[in-house]
Amino acid sequence: MIAAATTAARPHRVLRALAVRQVHRGAMVVTAVCAGMSALVAVGYRTEALDQTAIAALARNPAIRTLFGEPVALDQAGGFTVWRTGIVLAILLGVWTMLTATRITRGEEDAGRWSLLLAGRTTLAEAVRHHLGVLAVVPVVVGAATAAAMIAARVDTTGSLLHGAGLASVGLFFVAVGGISAQMFASRSAANGAAAAVLVVGVLTRMVGDGMPALAWLRWLSPFGLVALTRPFDTNRGLPVSVLTCAALLLLTLAGRLALRRDVGAGILATADSRPARTALLGSVPAFAVRRTMRPLAAWSTGIGAYSLLLGLIARSMTEFLTGNPQFAAMAAQAGFPALGTVEGYAATMFALLAVPVGVFVAVRLAAAAADENARRLTLLLAAPVTRLRLLAAEATIAGCAALVLITLSGLAMWAGTAAVRADLGAGDALAGAWNVVPIVVLCLGAGVLALGWKPHAVAAIGALPAAGGFMWQVIADSVEAPSWIRALSPFAHLAAVPATAPAWPAASAMAGIAVAGVVAGAIGYRRRDLWA
Amino acid sequence: MGVSALRTENLSKRYGQLLALDDLTLDVAAGEVFGFLGPNGAGKSTTIRLLLGLARPTSGRAWIFDTNAAHVAAAHSRLAYVPADVALWPRMTGAEVLDLLARIGPGTDTAYRDELIQRFALDVSKPAGTYSTGNRQKVALIAAFATRAPLLVLDEPTSGLDPLMDLQFRQAVGVARDNGQTVFLSSHQLAEVEAICDRVGILRAGELVEVASVAQLRRLHQTEVAATFTGTPPDLTGVLGVDGLHRDGTATVRFTLNGSPAAALRALADADVATIVVREQSLEEIFLAYYGQDAR
Repeated sequence: MIAAATTAARPHRVLRALAVRQVHRGAMVVTAVCAGMSALVAVGYRTEALDQTAIAALARNPAIRTLFGEPVALDQAGGFTVWRTGIVLAILLGVWTMLTATRITRGEEDAGRWSLLLAGRTTLAEAVRHHLGVLAVVPVVVGAATAAAMIAARVDTTGSLLHGAGLASVGLFFVAVGGISAQMFASRSAANGAAAAVLVVGVLTRMVGDGMPALAWLRWLSPFGLVALTRPFDTNRGLPVSVLTCAALLLLTLAGRLALRRDVGAGILATADSRPARTALLGSVPAFAVRRTMRPLAAWSTGIGAYSLLLGLIARSMTEFLTGNPQFAAMAAQAGFPALGTVEGYAATMFALLAVPVGVFVAVRLAAAAADENARRLTLLLAAPVTRLRLLAAEATIAGCAALVLITLSGLAMWAGTAAVRADLGAGDALAGAWNVVPIVVLCLGAGVLALGWKPHAVAAIGALPAAGGFMWQVIADSVEAPSWIRALSPFAHLAAVPATAPAWPAASAMAGIAVAGVVAGAIGYRRRDLWA
Repeated sequence: MGVSALRTENLSKRYGQLLALDDLTLDVAAGEVFGFLGPNGAGKSTTIRLLLGLARPTSGRAWIFDTNAAHVAAAHSRLAYVPADVALWPRMTGAEVLDLLARIGPGTDTAYRDELIQRFALDVSKPAGTYSTGNRQKVALIAAFATRAPLLVLDEPTSGLDPLMDLQFRQAVGVARDNGQTVFLSSHQLAEVEAICDRVGILRAGELVEVASVAQLRRLHQTEVAATFTGTPPDLTGVLGVDGLHRDGTATVRFTLNGSPAAALRALADADVATIVVREQSLEEIFLAYYGQDAR
């Protein structure tokens, strides 16, 4: 009786504790990655080999600015670290906070778990505010940890603090973006889609703003642009980061207000009430898998296509710059981007990056199958004369085919971009370069199927590991000049620089073999285990 | 007994320490409407998951019309299933879901499906995300009844339906019975089971404790008798089969009867009986008698 009374007196505390439980593990990983990578790069920085004219040339080059952001204060360990890791970490933090915001609010509500929660004394608006409030602490911790790690690596304090503040404000902004889209849309997937679109537009706006001096003002409209405008370790401007923080706080307040104006389970944007049936692609299990993949594929195609086109458009400027400044070619090689001096080499390097989003796409599609199983949507399909193997084969095949569509589209977009600036890249070369990442994507497919068979709760993480994890591994291994056997653990170490060189068939076959083993083991597990259905 | 629609042999399922289903041996004849009863957690849904091949048995086997239940493609071409908790893709309309299930299912009578949509008053043009629990259940029920599959496995199919829809459900089961379809109905609605089932099986803590027709179950149990007398009621103490004797006022006697009523009737015949009411216990009372003591 006493315990009951104590609990009842502090519903907000219970609510916050619930939110903490849902975010703490991911928060620790993100904090460790951001602080760890920043410290590693700052410690590994060496001052030789950079003269002022070279740095000026680098700062003037539009391609470098588009791709890596404006190079600022590269003569210091801090400036170099920010340039090298800032954008990657900001995107990582943005993606995580946005996905987590929708997961712990709309995702819980969508799954019906909040109905029970909100039957108590808690209102919907309170639940939203407290969950987002707890999540908003995470980017602040990440920023503080990153600043502390850099200061510990003996980097200038003001710049470190400003960089940390920039990261924190980007994270806060995407907590708010995820929170608002979770109020606007009635399903978690729609909320994720809308928030992801904001993130991609933000990144592309930053790239265009950094790349074209006439459009530099665009950066004031993008969270990533605002962070770039703070120029830590150089002019140390506080205004842009303050603008971003204010915007984030306003949007967070807005998310709480929006929650007041809607019903539980509904979104601010009403879903279409009734409509005629669209019966295309309902005839078989594979057709149905295609139907469910169409919408995400269209969204991913837009993002990856736009990015590839932009990469194509800057190809000429980039290669000309690197041929004229060999010391940067060497520096880029140390950072894991060798042979950027020719269009083919540049294309090969950029296409290798393509493995990351496409690998993540495959993992996310297989995770969607696991989510359908977990939500018992697959039950009615599995009660039909459909074997598990057929279902799994359909999901995996369609995910793989959709990935090939993405890869081909990226190749064509990059080719179109290079053709527009008359950088000499043949369509065949572009497609060969894009298709060169297929082994890594297939590895992701193998890992995802393996997870679906044995660890269905972790399909997205395990499936994305070969691409996202492998890429991070290689970047870190290159940055700290790790021994070659450590570098070789990343699948990226085994990609040939197609179209600059011939494909590495033995390595590709080995990766395909590992993937097949993963698929077979996963299929065995999937056949044997109890389904959640 | 003729052909079995559904048969299990020593079927057991263990989840870690918990023995969810213990050595279930059951035989449901083709054409039968079979009620499967038991409190929450007794193992009803586990049994159905094993029958459908969604979960793998720890030991024992199950057959759907002499096809091993593990051979899903063959076994499921002869059954249709309605889960207890129907989850649908939120952006697909009811019509789209029904179309999908018809096209991958064991074959559907579309004319009967359209009739069922009318009868269950389901607006199939709405996205499933806007459906209530009852409406989602209707989608699964319509899809299942429209298949005309020889075996219908229904797991608490009416928990979200209103009484009018419940009536439609009973009628649809009647149509299925008339078509010679077998119905395996897991339910908590005991009045419903009583009204439509030929036989019932009662599960308790993973064990099958009783399989009998509803009439047999009643016979096995007590009958309540209330008699009023014009004169002094007779003393029925010690009469064979009479139990729980008590008086209501001066002229009424109530008691329960076990086994043969002959001795009690003889005793009553000697007195001046004004009225007599004999009432069989409902399935609900029988059910509660099973679980009243040590329900799990």
